Amino acid sequence: MVTRTSISRQEVYEVLSGVADPEIPAISVVDLGIIEDVEVEENRVKVTCLPTFVGCPALDAIREDIEKALEGAGAEPEVVFVYQPPWTSDRITVEGKHKLEEYGLAPPTGRSPAGPTRLTLLAPAKCPYCGSRDTVLESPFGPTQCRAISYCRSCRNPFEQFKVV
Amino acid sequence: MTNLSPAFKESLEPLLLALADDELIMGHRHSEWTGWAPHIEEDIAFSSIAQDEIGHANLFYTLLSGVVDKSPDEIALARGASEYRHAIICERPNRDWAFTLARHFLYDAAERIRLESLRASAYKPLADVADKLLREERYHELHAEAWFSRLSSGPMEGRHELTMALSEALSDSIGLFETIDSEKVALEYSILPESNEDLLQRFLSDASERIESYGLPFQLSSSESEGEFLATSSGEMIEGSDDQGAPPPAIAEADGKWQVTGEFAGMGGRRGKHSPDFEELWDDLTKTYREEPSATW
Repeated sequence: MVTRTSISRQEVYEVLSGVADPEIPAISVVDLGIIEDVEVEENRVKVTCLPTFVGCPALDAIREDIEKALEGAGAEPEVVFVYQPPWTSDRITVEGKHKLEEYGLAPPTGRSPAGPTRLTLLAPAKCPYCGSRDTVLESPFGPTQCRAISYCRSCRNPFEQFKVV
Repeated sequence: MTNLSPAFKESLEPLLLALADDELIMGHRHSEWTGWAPHIEEDIAFSSIAQDEIGHANLFYTLLSGVVDKSPDEIALARGASEYRHAIICERPNRDWAFTLARHFLYDAAERIRLESLRASAYKPLADVADKLLREERYHELHAEAWFSRLSSGPMEGRHELTMALSEALSDSIGLFETIDSEKVALEYSILPESNEDLLQRFLSDASERIESYGLPFQLSSSESEGEFLATSSGEMIEGSDDQGAPPPAIAEADGKWQVTGEFAGMGGRRGKHSPDFEELWDDLTKTYREEPSATW
């Protein structure tokens, strides 16, 4: 392990860009948009994160992965989770959305509704396999809290999509 | 958290406990569908909703742990059955698919109404959490609504089962808006921006409108212990047939205002009164913790 006396914010972000989401390894915690703030004082780093879903069982794994990566870069990390501002799917970066699609997971289909708007329907997602828009939501719940299940009428494959939150 | 006044803390505690306990017990019942739901998508849906609700419970217990200086696990699991403050509707056994869906529909509507109101709480951590949770809860209602729409437009049998289950769950749902301990103080401090009585009004209007929009009747179970009668939202009354003792509990609507009289069987949870069904659930829920309280998870 490298010991060092200081680390820059930019270096911290570079390290975080290499930390994969434990449930969707194709995307980093930075691309997922869960990094709200990074504070640096010499080699002490405080990373403020926003949980995607409150009951997400991966939160502890995310915390550990971030800590380990920053320790590996010689920093003394502290990771905290806060609920304000709420994480929304709008925070996923453009690059993150491309990576989700390549991974076979349709990115969120629209912008997160402002305020407590009722949700009536999810717009049809683009099938990550054949690119068709002729798809239908099968279930708003999937293998993890952030994913829903859709079905492509064109290539007849079921696929997963990231929820609009 | 230490800078909160004793009166502020005292009124915060029963509110957070009621919020947390509702979510924990409802989540526990939903989780009982894991492996048993009618098909795999529903198995996943109820497991996922359970995971959400128990996650929300954990968050409320965590807020509370800062107020009462106990760990979230200790608050959640080291209490006797009569110390739980969830509404009785949460502990009712799943029974069958119709009752499960009826309760799911009503519980998640009640939760939306409560959380929307709590976004204005003077206790900022609670207001922040309410805003976050609402975004997740939308999917629960989306799920319940899809089933209501499917069953209400489907064959007679499913429609009938849902109607019967709904009338039972409705009388129980009143218990979600019973007054909590120290509610007056919580209202004075605006920790609770609106009283449970006011929220109940909004809930009944919302539930009656939505249920009728599926062409289903908004009526309570006619069994005596659960309430005799009822009014449709148009104000039409159906006469009860009670002829002895205290009049059965009832809900009636007049001039847009709902009037609840008497004690429904599903009331009392906020005061620690629970049904015999909770004993078994409590035993199951807390068994591991009671065997080894010092274990870490």
